[in-house]
Amino acid sequence: MKQDDNPSPPEAARQAARLPLWANPRIGLVVLLIALIALFTTLRPAFLNTQLTLVPMQSDISVYAVVGLSQLAVLSLGHMNMAVGRMAAMSAFAAGLLHDRLDAPLIVCLLGGLATGALLGALAGLIIARTGVNSFVVTLALDFALIGLVSLLYATFTDGVAFGGLPAGMSALRTDTFADYCAGDVCGPEIPLLAPIALVAALGVGLLFRWSRIGREVLMTGANAKAALLSGIPVNLRVVQAHALSGLLAGLAGFLLSANNGSFSAGVGDGFLLPSFLAPVLGGTLLVGGAVSVLGTVLGTGITQVIYKGLNLLQFQVDELKLYIGLVLLAALSLDRLRHVLAERRGVPA
Amino acid sequence: MRPLVRLGSAVGVLALMITASACTKKEEEPEGAAGALTAAQVKVALVPGGAHPYFQPWKDAGTKAKADFAFGDVTFNETAGWDQTKQNDVLTSLAAQGYNAFGIFGVAPESINSTFENLKKQGFKVGSLASCPAGDKNLADFCLSTDVQEAAYKAAKAAVEAMGGQGNLVHLTGNKVDSNTQRRIAGVQKAVDETGGKVKLLDTITDIDKDLQTAQKAVADLLAAKGSQVNAIVTTAYNPAVAAAGGVKQAKLPIKVIAIDDDPTIIQGIKNGEVAATVLQNPVGQAYVGSYALLKLAEGCTMATPGVIIDSGSFVVNAANATTYENDRQAKTDFLKKDFDEKYLTCAK
Repeated sequence: MKQDDNPSPPEAARQAARLPLWANPRIGLVVLLIALIALFTTLRPAFLNTQLTLVPMQSDISVYAVVGLSQLAVLSLGHMNMAVGRMAAMSAFAAGLLHDRLDAPLIVCLLGGLATGALLGALAGLIIARTGVNSFVVTLALDFALIGLVSLLYATFTDGVAFGGLPAGMSALRTDTFADYCAGDVCGPEIPLLAPIALVAALGVGLLFRWSRIGREVLMTGANAKAALLSGIPVNLRVVQAHALSGLLAGLAGFLLSANNGSFSAGVGDGFLLPSFLAPVLGGTLLVGGAVSVLGTVLGTGITQVIYKGLNLLQFQVDELKLYIGLVLLAALSLDRLRHVLAERRGVPA
Repeated sequence: MRPLVRLGSAVGVLALMITASACTKKEEEPEGAAGALTAAQVKVALVPGGAHPYFQPWKDAGTKAKADFAFGDVTFNETAGWDQTKQNDVLTSLAAQGYNAFGIFGVAPESINSTFENLKKQGFKVGSLASCPAGDKNLADFCLSTDVQEAAYKAAKAAVEAMGGQGNLVHLTGNKVDSNTQRRIAGVQKAVDETGGKVKLLDTITDIDKDLQTAQKAVADLLAAKGSQVNAIVTTAYNPAVAAAGGVKQAKLPIKVIAIDDDPTIIQGIKNGEVAATVLQNPVGQAYVGSYALLKLAEGCTMATPGVIIDSGSFVVNAANATTYENDRQAKTDFLKKDFDEKYLTCAK
């Protein structure tokens, strides 16, 4: 699902036909993912334990894939969203408040949270578009402001750092898999209920950037804002829209993490910033804008979580764990680079 | 794009509706139905919220418990990095490795009950160690932790005594939006109120337990601004305690410092007379007795009151008992174990 340049359809078809499987970056990631799973399974057969490894890992992948997509939405412009974690925290607060004060059902809480995230994103986008200040600076400032606001709001509206209750159905999102739901004797697969929500988000973002006019125009703005403006694209509007999408997805990630951890709390989103960059970049999204890879982001998240889980199962101590995560990621990126270089030498675009 | 989206959404909604209408939820299996284990089958994991000096004694205490009570295995894992999601991941990874009894210091007291619930649902035994969940309920089998309000009260009483029953007191502590900090503040306030106005709480400085540098800066600022007015400082968090002891010594001010825990600099400070007193907690007792209780639960005992909250003890140490305090702590640990046997656990004979 990569939208690099924009070749004419026959040219694209020819390129696709020429591209050997091994040179496709996404295939490279899939191979790496399978190799890592095989490695960890050999070292620790418990890696394939459904209840204790695979189901929690799928939940984590669901959350962090959406975190990655949130960053991807603005990376498409060549922008950054440093406030991704705090937008998630604000969304979780809004969702929690809706339930706490108005006893709103799950879906209303979710929509309220998403709206809050989208509004914050749109605000960041608006400031960037209007003032022309770098997105890094604007979102970093917003992040600082929101850190304070989140603790103030929780201190005002709760007696600590979290809302006490959860809307009905939220616990099921955390604990249940489709295997818990049966039609007659046929039960679903061991996939957590969170996973399809993340899947819908990924499909939506993928469709947006591949097929919709807005998505294509955002990518063109990212590739060359001036050229886009001269081509009649409403560049400022697209900047606001891309940031609003980033906020919306950050809000969704905040909601998913709240469901996963079992509370709407001020700590939601604390650890989002690094993974938000890691997954898209590992997956082939350019930091300079103009090209995104949704599938790559999902695979990148998968790889990071598999590495984390595998190293956890090998019971590394705290310093070793960080060291090895760094090393494995470096090795993964180097392998991908090697594949890229090989492809270039053989004259294959990758 | 539109026809595709319409088709996609129509199929999606239809599929969801059909699935939702046809499906029923499976009956939950009874919780913790796993049969009793033998001691050799019990593998205990002690999991703090992240790396912190407070938890280091857990390592040796766990190993000693394994030797004394002859259970299968014990591990100490501090890789959670103060992130609840990571801690949940560490816990399920340990469970996948065959650990079946968990002593946990939860990163986020407000959501740790969900983690306990998840583990217990799969038949594991869970003790909340060194911190209890926020709110009224504890979904772990038991919580063995310092009564932080009581410990702060004792520390403030010691401060009042050290300053001769009158003067100005300052309280240094940790994260303000933590329910435990709120209870510490209440404990100090209670001791101040009991002096009937003779001791005034000049300031309560929060959010300075992140690291030693933050605490040192706060102490330096405090001493520069109000050093001459302060008669005593009471600290209820690790880093502020170390920073206050060092800061007051350096500034050569006649301020009485009441510290917390037994960092070597603090114990040395008490012996040298630079620190008036410190309030010790009982990390060894938490890990040792916690492991014992988890073993007993895995062997088939049940809690007389599931989720019971137990004070693991706090001890005021000053120059008089700076060399003998370990005896008091050991006595409390022995007492806790006896209490588990006699009061908290119900075991089939």
